[in-house]
Amino acid sequence: MYVKKILILVKKELKDSFLSPLIYILSGLFCFMMGWLFFNYLLQAKTLTSSTMTQAVITPIFGNINFIFVFLCPLITMRSFAEERKQSTLDLLLRSELSEMQIILGKFISNLIMVFFMLSFTFIFPAILAFSGYSDWGVVTSSYLGVLFSVMAYLSVGLFCSSLTDNQIVASLLTFCILLGSMLMVISANATNNYLLALLVQYTTIPFHYEGFVKGVVRSYSMVYFAGFLCFFFLLTLKSLQARKW
Amino acid sequence: MEHQSDIAIDIKNLSKTYPGRNALSGISFSVKKGSVHGFLGPNGAGKSTTMKILSGLIKESDGEFSLNGKIGFLPEHPPVYPNMSVSDYLEFVFSIYAPEKKNKREAILDVMEKTGLNSVAERLIGNLSKGFQQRVGIAQAIVHSPEIIILDEPTVGLDPVAISDIRSLIRELKKDHTILFSTHQLHDVELLCSDITLINHGKIVVTGALEDILQNLKTRMNIHARVLNFSSEQKSAMLKRFNLESLDYKYDEEKKNYTLDITAAAPESLKKDLSHFLAEDSIGLLEFAEVRLDLEELFKQMVH
Repeated sequence: MYVKKILILVKKELKDSFLSPLIYILSGLFCFMMGWLFFNYLLQAKTLTSSTMTQAVITPIFGNINFIFVFLCPLITMRSFAEERKQSTLDLLLRSELSEMQIILGKFISNLIMVFFMLSFTFIFPAILAFSGYSDWGVVTSSYLGVLFSVMAYLSVGLFCSSLTDNQIVASLLTFCILLGSMLMVISANATNNYLLALLVQYTTIPFHYEGFVKGVVRSYSMVYFAGFLCFFFLLTLKSLQARKW
Repeated sequence: MEHQSDIAIDIKNLSKTYPGRNALSGISFSVKKGSVHGFLGPNGAGKSTTMKILSGLIKESDGEFSLNGKIGFLPEHPPVYPNMSVSDYLEFVFSIYAPEKKNKREAILDVMEKTGLNSVAERLIGNLSKGFQQRVGIAQAIVHSPEIIILDEPTVGLDPVAISDIRSLIRELKKDHTILFSTHQLHDVELLCSDITLINHGKIVVTGALEDILQNLKTRMNIHARVLNFSSEQKSAMLKRFNLESLDYKYDEEKKNYTLDITAAAPESLKKDLSHFLAEDSIGLLEFAEVRLDLEELFKQMVH
């Protein structure tokens, strides 16, 4: 019954999202950018005789996918709670048989499915490479896993920010600022002379963990990091929803 | 003495405090099962706060309440998704409010029939008139068959025809549900309610059966008079001599005389004695009229 209740909300959210033009505009934009980048990396790969296809195409393309989602995820999540608050329908959900956590998970899963939809267009890139004899599927799989974890982290931040306001623009800007701030922390980590501090700061950033996945290295501590990150932002979102009752 | 099983909503010393403001200060009242209970008060009196506490949207600061059944709630702004069709919306609401129930289709058809939404079942809610959107709001409150329905100003902002429709709908719902509804339309209260609670500044002013309250008003006499001269000594003398409940007087700068508002729980003969007293040379009676105290007059008096 717990999962069934979540799925009721997921179904409704997906119907809403796929009836709105936003998802198609974002998907079109994403496909155009990724296609253009893939084409350029392929052209470059011809001139780079010393590097493998993984180094020349897969690693940079997945680096870009991750970076583009820093911009797209705030746009996907911005309406999740902000619009519900504006329409006074959030109270309808909160009074229902769905718990706050089920509402959060329902919104999260539907947003994740939308990202899958967008990401599914990129499956054509490894397929094209496969025709030219590319076979390092371990790296491709771990890279997709990395994108999945990163995007989940971005979406959790987006959901939290959306729960704070009834203004979608404010929600998306706040999400973007937090995500960009998290990325910029890598620069701070590189700038410090203290090795331990640098390591500690690096550990708190998403790109540091994502890099491992793109290189084909799935580290257990990165999994722990992403799980902790998700739990932390889910908890913040939960507290934000509960705060409405005070 | 009412049995606990006859009470649908029982509120005891309910308080709600926001930083620097008391929204509710220990209110207590009960709503009888099967009754239509009017919840009256001016804007900011604490009606919506009470209703939100009862529906579980906000937590009380102090006090307690008990609900004898499931609740259906229509807030002031109907919680509708403008880009959903009426039937899809009701299906969604039913699914999240009664996920274990199987008779979804029948329940939705039944509620659309009751609320007169059959003709707009496949239309987007955002394209409907305000009156129909309000009906959709009421439909979402009853689609999961709650025993108690709480309606927060269901007729606000509607045209007279829509108000009349909503009134008929409430009358229809009265057969199967206990209804607590807030309104500023005192006419609605007199037509629909068996009991009322009047609240102001977060405190209960009066609560009970509408008939008893109106009866009580009839036994109280309200007199408006205008005199040439009046003083505080004369006020004290009148209060003592006629055993008045209240006497307010003020000087009318424009007309250069005094207006008196007198309230008394007294026999009809008091009118004659009062008029004789005020007609004395030292006071000089100019006008003397009894004001019929109805619910509207009570509302005005209580909130000012």
